[in-house]
Amino acid sequence: MLIEIKALVQELPAVANLSVTELCELSAALGFPVDGVSQEGGETVIEVDVTANRGDVLSHRGFARDLAARVDGKLEPLACPTLEEGAPLMPIHLRAGAACPVYSTAVLDLGEGPGTPEEARRFLASMGTNAKGFAPVDGSNELLFRYGHPTHAFDADRLKGCLIVRWAEEGETLLTLDGVERKLSPKDLLIADDSGPVALAGVMGGDSTKVTPETRRVLLESAWFDARSVRATAHRHGLHSDASYRFGRGADPAMARTGRDLLARRLMDWGGAVLHGAWTAGEVPEASAAIRLTEGTLNRLTGSPISLEEAKPLLERLGFVVSQGADGLWAHPPTWRHDMEIEVDLAEEVLRMRGYDTIPMALPPLQGHPEPLSANYAQRKNLALRLAHLGFHQTVTLGFVSPEIDAEFMSVLGVDNPQGGRTLVNPLGVEYSVMRGSLLPSLRSTAEYNLRQGARELRLFEISPVYFSTPKGPQETLKLGIVWSGTLGGESYLSPARPVRSADLVGIARDLGLEVLPQVHELGDGVFGIEFPLGELGRPQDRIIPAFQAFSRFPAVERDLSLLVAMEQSYAALRDAMTQVLPKDTLQSLACVDVFRHKSLPQGRQAWLMRFRFQHMERTLTGAEVDGWIAKALEAARTHGAELRG
Amino acid sequence: MELSLLPQELRDAYEAFQAALDACGDLDALMRLKGAYIGREGSHAARMMDLLKAAPKEQKRELGASINALKGKWEEGLRIRQAELEDARKRQASLAQAWDPELPPPTPAKGAMHPLNRLMDRMVEVFRPLGYHVEEGPEVETEAHNFDGLNIPADHPARGSADTFYLKEHGDLLLRTHTSPVQVRVMQRLAPTIEARGGIRFLAPGRVYRKDEIDPTHSPMFHQVEGLLVGKGIGMHHLKGTLDYAMKALFGPKAEVRFRPSYFPFTEPSCEVDVRCPLCGGDGCRVCKGSGWVELLGAGLVHPNVLRFSGIDPEVWSGFAFGIGVERTAMMVSQTPDLRLFFENDTRFLAAMGGLD
Repeated sequence: MLIEIKALVQELPAVANLSVTELCELSAALGFPVDGVSQEGGETVIEVDVTANRGDVLSHRGFARDLAARVDGKLEPLACPTLEEGAPLMPIHLRAGAACPVYSTAVLDLGEGPGTPEEARRFLASMGTNAKGFAPVDGSNELLFRYGHPTHAFDADRLKGCLIVRWAEEGETLLTLDGVERKLSPKDLLIADDSGPVALAGVMGGDSTKVTPETRRVLLESAWFDARSVRATAHRHGLHSDASYRFGRGADPAMARTGRDLLARRLMDWGGAVLHGAWTAGEVPEASAAIRLTEGTLNRLTGSPISLEEAKPLLERLGFVVSQGADGLWAHPPTWRHDMEIEVDLAEEVLRMRGYDTIPMALPPLQGHPEPLSANYAQRKNLALRLAHLGFHQTVTLGFVSPEIDAEFMSVLGVDNPQGGRTLVNPLGVEYSVMRGSLLPSLRSTAEYNLRQGARELRLFEISPVYFSTPKGPQETLKLGIVWSGTLGGESYLSPARPVRSADLVGIARDLGLEVLPQVHELGDGVFGIEFPLGELGRPQDRIIPAFQAFSRFPAVERDLSLLVAMEQSYAALRDAMTQVLPKDTLQSLACVDVFRHKSLPQGRQAWLMRFRFQHMERTLTGAEVDGWIAKALEAARTHGAELRG
Repeated sequence: MELSLLPQELRDAYEAFQAALDACGDLDALMRLKGAYIGREGSHAARMMDLLKAAPKEQKRELGASINALKGKWEEGLRIRQAELEDARKRQASLAQAWDPELPPPTPAKGAMHPLNRLMDRMVEVFRPLGYHVEEGPEVETEAHNFDGLNIPADHPARGSADTFYLKEHGDLLLRTHTSPVQVRVMQRLAPTIEARGGIRFLAPGRVYRKDEIDPTHSPMFHQVEGLLVGKGIGMHHLKGTLDYAMKALFGPKAEVRFRPSYFPFTEPSCEVDVRCPLCGGDGCRVCKGSGWVELLGAGLVHPNVLRFSGIDPEVWSGFAFGIGVERTAMMVSQTPDLRLFFENDTRFLAAMGGLD
């Protein structure tokens, strides 16, 4: 909301004593931080951020009223004589109950006055609006910014019969001022005449009854419409006007008559209009019920004693009518406050007036035992740190992808994961419309981006949920996705270069402790990726220190065996066959440490260098027994067609 | 040692030994000296053995002891000097063969945690000593948890499809717009045992979604860290004390914190928390837009309706909640000019920002 300091001082002269900085600090302390200060036509204008619950502050007078309560200043009285009301010149029927309890109006003949005065034009310019030079429009805008109450002027000669405030009927339409034909819903509150709808109540007038340069006679509207109804209608039609903004945040019903008077006075003063008659349908609703505030609540909320004697005048300065009973204060909120429902609402007002800086600081005592940090969170954090130490960069990417890319990966992964239940109704664009079923598409595009940027080697990982369609909705599974690509080594005289291979990712998966190795996918030329649910990593141990496991202090014996095996030989089968014939507690490890494929070898054969490591828990091994085991292992290997390489 | 039985020539050799030993600059010289003193033939030692053989019987015992002592001294001296010279030769040899240590050695690959995750972890560390643990909730949420349970009315603008992503085929499912639904889930879960627990306190870091176009300050997905504490007699002073501690832990002991009234449907009273601009110290700069303060988080006492919705009696229990914008904090602290950098994942950015500690 824009506030011109000059106009603010006209409402609250005490503000003149404050510097702009002091005013900004005061405004922030009241809950309305200032987002910017600028100069408009020689006047200082501040942009005040008003919270959504405070429709009453959305004007110079409303803002001044809150400031006045804090600086204990006096608002200038409204300089506007009350119009004398008479018999209705046109019947007005209120048929929407509490949605519109009061509707004030007046009929005036427009005259040939001097037009919008310079001061009002300048003020409108400060508010970012150009004066139209037409009193019904400029006057309505000026008083909206100054006093916060929306008003409307109809061309009285284009209204037929009587005015009715009612809910729309199915099938009704209205061409609004902005030239759009609106299909109305029974939830839309409207103003109608005998010919049908003429305005969307509190949102926008209709085109057929709008005021034009040819208009000779106007009917003014200054009513009060329920905030929810106005918000809903504005939202339904995507039609957000200054009027709907203010009504939608709660206007002051007591301003219905005053708003009419202020607008009529501007038409008479600026435009030379002549008043025909003024009248009001309905009544300003009764003030809301009193709310009780006790000293106990104030003390609990602040941890410091605040007496009711201190609280009472603070509320009164805000316009509350307060009486002190034996059981606490009873406060009736003023007509402009729609945000007061329960005791803490009142308490907050007391604290706001005292200033939040007066509340002391204390740490809450620990009640009960603290809980463990969270096993899942700790696991994720440790995993991320571990991968980072292994050279991987953690990425964070958007949770949604395009349907085509998602489908491509679901097919690559061989997962039946229908997109329907994972698709957004209102995505930013089709490329962001499906909650991803895999992390790999995002990792692939991040890898491609970085390789394009000249990365020589790339290690990435992401820990994020992926979504699986179920009848109840998308089921979230936290997954780890890893991508590795580029050239390893070659940047030092001791580490020769070689391309990253899928086996590198298998090594990582093993290192992380995966029992079932995930499939490595080649996501692009030399870009390898794996993905698996974090659940497969096994839960972190509950015990801080694991149970002791004995180890041998006797010398280990290492033996290599070079085997010729078929090209299609299964490594696991051969390894398992040899392991089975060896003493379990003495064989520490058995692994292939080199693969040799060359044309010098017999056709269809390759050489595997198998390395055995034996170590006994209780004694030193003898050469003879190790020879015996190697012979047995070779024998077992032969059953798989392997032979000793000569 | 009795040398009087030895001829002058050997006595001279004895006197000259230490100087000759010290004069040996290399192993070759030492070998020549060794040959001259204790070699098999023609050496001083050999000559002494000849003397001993020829000596009269009654002198043999005394002369033998002298010769042995002398020979032992020479052997000992030669051995020590030889070790010294061998050492020196090794050192020299290794120096001659050494690689220039400036040559690039093989270095382990360096990765990094994502800066947003790192900052969230840091926030968890800050609250851990106060007894907060970590809770998490789903990103696909129900309207009940995301809105109803937080006292957000059915016609609140935030519930519209202009602000919130909704899912097809599941009318009441949406992508959570804040981490606050975790409050509702945890309170509902713990409400039956709250008396025995003595209250609830946790942090909920996580990703949230709002329908914002991607630009330098907006992203449809971003991160928040939610905090909730429920206890008996909890008031604004506790909220202020906790956040003052947390901001000082995050930004340094001199960090100044300001609490301003504000409005959120799920807290009452509500406040926004500003930190004295860490970049300009309050003088006014681009980051704080000249105000000297940077808005970092929203907070307040949990609205009685929120407690009630989750099955906690607001007459007995009260609490506070806060929500910190992670990207906002990260951008402010690091002066990262564009929010999109956090989601572009350029490894040069990640390496510089993420770190490992």
